[in-house]
This record gives sequence, structure tokens and C-alpha cells, in this order.
Amino acid sequence: MAEFDLAVLRDGNRRALAKAITVVESSRDDDRDRAQAILEQCLPHTGNSIRVGITGIPGVGKSTFIEAFGLHLLAQGKRVAVLAVDPSSPIAGGSILGDKTRMEELSRRQEAFIRPSPAAGALGGVAQKTRETMLLCEAAGYDVILVETVGVGQSEYQVAGMVDFFMVLMLPNAGDELQGIKKGIMELADALVINKADGDSLNLAEQTRRHYKAAMGLLRHAPHWEPRVTTCSSIEGRGVTDVWSMIGEFEQAARECGAFSARRDNQARDWMHQLIGEMLKARLRNNPEAQRLLPELEARVLARELTPYTAACRVLDCL
Amino acid sequence: MSDDPIYDKDAATPDSWAALATKQMKGLAPDELTWITPEEIRLRCLYTAEDIADLPYTNTMPGMSPYIRGPQATMYAGRPWTIRQYAGFSTAEESNAFYRKALAAGGQGISVAFDLATHRGYDSDHPRVAGDVGKAGVAVDSIEDMKILFDGIPLDKVSVSMTMNGAVLPVLAGYIVAAEEQGVGQEQLSGTIQNDILKEFMVRNTYIYPPAPSMRIIGDIIAYCSEHMPRFNTISISGYHIQEAGANAALELAYTLADGKEYIRTAIAAGLDIDQFAPRLSFFWGIGMNFYLEIAKMRAARMLWARIVSEFNPQNPKSSMLRTHSQTSGWSLTEQDPYNNVVRTTIEAIALPSEFAARIARNTQLIIQEETGITQVVDPWGGSYMMESLTNDIADKAWELIEEVENEGGMAKAIESGLPKLRIEEAAAAKQARIDRGEDVIVGVNKYKLNHEDEVEILEIETEAVREAQLKRLAEIRATRDQASVDDILTQITRVAGGEEGNLLALSIEAIRRRATVGEISDAMEKEFGRFKASAQTVSGVYGAAFSEDQGWKEIAGDIDAFVEKHGRRPRMLVCKMGQDGHDRGAKVVATAFADVGFDIDLSPMFSTPEEVARQAIENDVHAVGASSLAAGHKTLVPQLVEQLKKQGGEDIIVIAGGVIPRQDYDVLYDAGVKCIFGPGTPIPQSAREVLNAINQIQGG
Repeated sequence: MAEFDLAVLRDGNRRALAKAITVVESSRDDDRDRAQAILEQCLPHTGNSIRVGITGIPGVGKSTFIEAFGLHLLAQGKRVAVLAVDPSSPIAGGSILGDKTRMEELSRRQEAFIRPSPAAGALGGVAQKTRETMLLCEAAGYDVILVETVGVGQSEYQVAGMVDFFMVLMLPNAGDELQGIKKGIMELADALVINKADGDSLNLAEQTRRHYKAAMGLLRHAPHWEPRVTTCSSIEGRGVTDVWSMIGEFEQAARECGAFSARRDNQARDWMHQLIGEMLKARLRNNPEAQRLLPELEARVLARELTPYTAACRVLDCL
Repeated sequence: MSDDPIYDKDAATPDSWAALATKQMKGLAPDELTWITPEEIRLRCLYTAEDIADLPYTNTMPGMSPYIRGPQATMYAGRPWTIRQYAGFSTAEESNAFYRKALAAGGQGISVAFDLATHRGYDSDHPRVAGDVGKAGVAVDSIEDMKILFDGIPLDKVSVSMTMNGAVLPVLAGYIVAAEEQGVGQEQLSGTIQNDILKEFMVRNTYIYPPAPSMRIIGDIIAYCSEHMPRFNTISISGYHIQEAGANAALELAYTLADGKEYIRTAIAAGLDIDQFAPRLSFFWGIGMNFYLEIAKMRAARMLWARIVSEFNPQNPKSSMLRTHSQTSGWSLTEQDPYNNVVRTTIEAIALPSEFAARIARNTQLIIQEETGITQVVDPWGGSYMMESLTNDIADKAWELIEEVENEGGMAKAIESGLPKLRIEEAAAAKQARIDRGEDVIVGVNKYKLNHEDEVEILEIETEAVREAQLKRLAEIRATRDQASVDDILTQITRVAGGEEGNLLALSIEAIRRRATVGEISDAMEKEFGRFKASAQTVSGVYGAAFSEDQGWKEIAGDIDAFVEKHGRRPRMLVCKMGQDGHDRGAKVVATAFADVGFDIDLSPMFSTPEEVARQAIENDVHAVGASSLAAGHKTLVPQLVEQLKKQGGEDIIVIAGGVIPRQDYDVLYDAGVKCIFGPGTPIPQSAREVLNAINQIQGG
């Protein structure tokens, strides 16, 4: 594989960005080192985009929304990268990635870059790699980064923890409590957008909006931003522009009070601490002495001969 | 005790037969011979009077409701079916010559196949269709092409069937104006236009607009024709393509009838009375190789249709009669050992598109009609224990599926949810697995294979020449017409599409008279309606489950694990459809099966250009692109894809081609840089193995 060349990536070369993402996503150890070297070169050129997370249950119309939303952003002169995270972990076999089929127009445009990522399998979360991919896209000059994930697992929490603005797409049906979206995720949402507010569903969408507005009012929120509840129709293109102006308002308010950079700082710090935990575990997994000790220590804890604290200290001492 | 010396009535019972059968099978009970069909119907090896004792419709009469035995009292004994051949030969001139010859040789009507660009509402000079003009049918851009197509064919006498669903308005209008300029009035026209858009969203994908405006177009057509063209069938509700996409007989039956029900609702919403249009609805079935089940399907269809129409309170009995034409399945025809197809089409009572093949197909039917005596008896299966029982079984299965669609609010709504398409794709993956495992036998393909395949005569299409001729004619028509008057009518069409009062067919007829083109009329509506984008839903696990214990399959999965170890990710392939060819069954089955064995699979949007596919491949950084071609676009589009990949810096991405590609074209593709070519009938595990090997070779595995 050709060596990474930052100038080529910065120049907007699609192939260079695509290949760098592959290295970041690779499960090989030596690729981890290469990825870090690439990211370190990119780092001075990152942070200039607005990062938007989009989640929702299957069938809510995330891709159709992104198609309409992305095209609107291009019309505003923005360059848009779409990263689609597949959180599924099939027992056997690979992923089927059909995201581009639902973003037909956007996928043809020069100013857009769409990259769906397959499920990573057992090793590491795919979302983790999305953080790094996001940095690559920023270095390649994309102004808006949309991270899409289906809201059925853990991936939406991870996505919420890596973006500036996090929104949950909903369907117009007021009666169904929370539509399978966990309450915890609502607390993280900066906006709920009720999609498919068109045709027969217009009134229902408005009812749904009021319903969620009332529910969201009960949740705690940051002083600079009260989460919004809006409606839109991706098919008719209505309400999509409002979502972008809302994000604009949010960005302005958050920047003015310093919450914008504070959130990014927190995310970077959390990310680091999370990595420390994961890497420690990985090192213990690969440490023969620790692996040898573990069963014995476990047995002694169960026999009440050792406290769990002492046992944990002994394992860590192996490092 | 019976006094008949050769028949003991009391002894001849199902139980005593079962005992005898078990003895003859050396202890194997006859139940073991029961075949569970793909529809999950238990086809037993013997049926008796007991099986039909409680069935409701075993004593009905032909020509009377519920029409199980046929809509006409005397059926084919009175008048045999009309023989038509589906043909479209790239240019209007060649097609016209073919129709004339076929009519002279005993054909009784003509059937027009249009090229892919026309289907999708593009003129031949549109940049997206460079590889599609003249493919799979005749290129029609304007009234000038239509006039040549029907030259010398008396449209007041010859019935014309047109396979058109997407660009249905300009094409139907073109036919009407061609007749008009021949001096034939609209009221004299007889024939059928397919106009069945719902199935396009489920299977063939030759739609233009989204479901709602597409249904409105159908309402306008039915309204116009029921007033002006009483002898013309405005819609041919097609199960054929559903079966071709891999659906089993129950799914084909159910979804076709559910489509029919939705069209009734559309026409009623357009202000018509059921009896004004229902007698002009006709159906179109695919006929596969499962002899008994196919007959049961058609008998059940008539009864279920009568049941569906009865909900709308028809007064005219003709409203409830299911009229149909059938076409033998292209699925069952094989590329391998192609002369077997002659036998297959006889059983299914059309073939490879050469003139010789067309003659064989026509004569097969003429022999059935005029030599065998088959048509002498109306519904010869009536009263058969097996057939009556099977008719009831399949009707029940189909009704369950129809109710499922109704619960979603009818077919147009169900299509939006994607459920019917998923069910068909599931059936297709299961069918492919059965064929690849040899459970469904196809002689010459997965059993009794030939060691050496002879070359077969195939019609070669000089696409570039066809396109040049079309471009010339388009330039002429645009130079000689009154442009202001064309612009005026096109603006009116856009306005009416946007909600102003008016009938889109009436306006399209006027636009064609003023020499507007198919593409211009389609664009005028697209301004309001938009173009429909299909979202890809895929099934997973269905194909792989059938192979979970297969040694070869496990070996491939194991080699993929080794690949992941070595390269840090799974082998990744983009499965694409290029050009206007909408047949995506093959692509979908390959996608789901390859994912099941361990590939990561990306899907391209339908109707992509080679340039767009190359870009998608690079963006997703795949190892391979698999191009599926079923409509003769391979010789232009696939080499262009290889070029584009090089141009965009993806020279290490290999290209694989699959689908209907004649053997004599293989070398052209290999020379262009294609690594593997898989014809129809290649078992998927074999192709997965070869693709993995090819990727390994270039990636240094």
C-alpha cells in the first residue's frame, strides 16, 4: 500500500482519504501504529467542522433525511462527509451496506463523501474508529460531518459522545411511548426531529411534536440550550432547512458561553480515559503472567481468602 | 360385500392403500414421499375422494362465478388462446419487419418490447442512457419512431400489447397518435398496455415517479380509456415479473391480486364505477416448471379475484372475471445446453431472441392448439382430487398474504414499508440456495451437465449505430416542429401534474401530436412529481442457513477468517447495477449470499453510471466491484467501469461481471480487464471462492 501523504489528503483526494480510513478501521496491530502516525500528522488540521450525530430506529428515514439535509448543506457551499456506523454484529458473515442507495443524489456530488463502515465484529467498537475517521475527514477539509447510526444498541451513546450536536429522528405516532428509543438517549439529544411529517401524517406529526415537547420539558438541560422538538419531511424537503438553522443557533449560543469547546474538551478527555481502560485490559489479556494468575486469584476471592481489592492489585502488579 | 368380481369397494380405502404402499416401499410410509413445496404446501403422492369432500368449490361450472373452471363457458374448446410473441429489435424498422413476418406466419397479435431508456422516460440523447439505447427492446423517442413501428400494420384489426409501465403516458399517446395518422380512431383500438406500476416497485424497477403520482397517472389512463377506447385493456396486472424475481407461486398470486385490488381503489377514487373499468382489467401470469402447482395457481386466481371484486358490488358479471395471458418463465430457461429450452417451453406452453428461436416457440404453441387436441375439453382438471385440493391449498396461502398486505393499508402503503419486496427477496435467496444445492433440478445446469457447450446463434445489437440513428431523428424532429407550441403543451402538463384540472393522457396525446418527445413529456411531469429513489433492503441469513453444514462453504468462511487476520478487514465488494437495467434479483441474491459467507458487501444505487460506480468503489475502498448485467449492457458499461477505476486511481480494485452474458463476449470482457465472469447457473459458493482467490491474488494473499 502506498505511503500516506498528508498533502494529497489535504488536497481533497478521495482515494487518499478512503485508504486512510481503511487503515484506521483495520484490526491489525501494525495498522494501529500506522493509523496513529497518520492521525498525528492530521491533528493540526482538525477541529474545524461541525460534527452532527443522527440516530433513530430502523425505518425512521435517517438516510432519506441525510440525503435531503446533505443536499441543502451543499447548496450552502459546505462540504459534507457522511459516516454511517453499522452497530450490528452478525453471528457469522459480513455486513450489507446499502447506505448509498438511499443517498443517491448526495453520493453523486463532488462535495460529498459517504463512507459506511461495516460491523467490526468482536474486536473494539466500530464507533471508536469513527472518532478517528472524523478527524481524517476534517483534515481533508469537510465542513460538516454527519455521523449516522441506528438507535438500537450502544452505538448511539458512543455517537452522542463524539459530536457537537446530537439529534434523534422520530416517527409521527404520538401514542407509542418513546418508540423503542431509550430514555437515556433522549437526555442526550439536542433535538428531536419528527420525520415523515407529510401527507396523511401531518396532523399526527404535530401531535407527536407537542407530546415530546412536553416530555422533554421534564428533562434537565444545559443553561444555554433547551432541546428543540421539530417536524420535517425529508421527501418533500420541508423543515430540513430549519434543522440547519437550528444547528446554527445552537452553535452560536454554545460558542458564546464557551460550552462548545468545553464539550469537545470533555469528549477528548473521556475518550482518553476510556482508551486507558480499554488498553489496560488489552495489555492484561496479552500478559501471560496475569493470565496465569487470574484463575487462581479468582478462586481465592471466592474462598474468602483474599479481598477483591488485593487480588486486583496483584494482577496489575504483573504489568 | 361387493358383487363386482374385479372391485372390492370396502377394501379399497386410503388406509389399505397406505399399508400396501409401505410394503412396496420396504417399510417407508407414503408420508415420506410428501414433497413440501416452496409455498409450504404438502404435495402428497396420492389424493382421494376424502381430500375434496369438504371443499367449497368442487362442483362449479365454467363461465359462472367463482370462475375456477374458467371465465368463458366454452374456454379454449370454443376459441383457442391468442398467440403473441414478445419482441422488440432495437430499431423501429427491424421490429416492424419482425411483426409483419410473424403476422403472416400465423401470429395473431403483436407485442412490443421497448428499450431501457424509453422505459425510464429518457430520450436516446440523454447522457445517463448512453449504454442503454436499443437494449432489450425498441428505442422510441417520438411519433416518428412510432409511425415506423406500426407501418403497414392495420391497427384497427391487429391487437397490440405494449410492455410499458414507467413512461406509460407518452408511449400510449404515441400509439394512439400513430393510429390516428393511419386514419384509425381511438374507439377501434384493441390491445393491452401493461401499466402495472406497483410490481415495478417490488421487482423490475422500471418506474420513474414515486408511488403516489404513479397511481394518479394510472387513474388518468383508466378514466380516459374507459371513455374513448372501450376495446383497449388499460392495465395488465403482472405476476410474471414477480415470479421471475424469485417469488414462489403463492407470493406471485397474492401480490398480483393485491395489486389488482389497489388499482380498483385508484380507479374508484378517480370517480369511476367498478363496472366501467373492471371488465377491461387483465392479468399476466408467469408459468414455471411446476406443472400441477401452476395449474392450481391459475384456477385459484380466478376464484380469489371474484372474491376481491365482490367487495366492490359489481353489477356486471364481467367485472368479476379474471382474464389473463401467460408467458413461460424466463427463469426456467437456461443458458447451458440451450436446446433443452425447447422442451421446457413446450411444457410451460418463447425462447432465445433469435428468429429461429421465435419460430420454434410459435410453432410449439400452434402444435399444442392444432395437433394435440388439448384444447378440446374445458378445464380437464375439474374434479381431480389432487387438483381441486391443491387449488384450495394455494388459494388459502395466497389469501393469508393478501390479508397481510391489506392490514398494512393496501399495496401502495405496503410497498412503502418494503415488506412485499423483502418477502420476495427471501424467497429468491431460498430458491437460489435450493438450486445451488441441487435440491431443485435444472437439467443441464446442476445435473446432467454437458462437457462442452456449443455456441448458439444470438442476436447482436450494434448499439452505437442504433443510438446514432435515434439522435439523427431526434435532431430532425426538433428542427422542424413548432417549438412554441411544444413548450406551451409541456407547461400545461407540468401544471396539471401540479394539481390543476386536467387529464394527463389527453394532454400527452396532444403533446405527441405537436411532436414533443418521450423524454420531454416525462420531464414535464418529473418537475412536479420528482424521480423515485429505491431504498435497498436486504435479507440476510436465508442463503447461508441452507449451507451451514456444507464443507465447501465452511472452507470459504475459514479462508475469509484468514484474510481478516492478514488484511485487518473482511474482503469487501461493491455489488452494482449500471445503466437503466432494473433487474436486481441477481444482484440482491449475490449480495445476501456473499455477506452470509463473510464478505462485507456495499450496494450501489440503481441506475448508476460507470463513473459513479467507480467513485463509490473508491470511496468505500472495496477490493472488488461485481457488476450484474441482465440486459445486454455489459459490452459497453463493464469496460467503461474498468477505465473509470483506473482514471480515478483505483487500479487495484478488481472487476467481476455476472448475469446474462453470452459466452462469445467473455473474451472481450477479459481483454478489457475483467477478472471473473459468472453466467447464470454458477453456484454462488463457486463464485465466492473465485472472487476471494482473485482478490487474494491482487492483494498478495
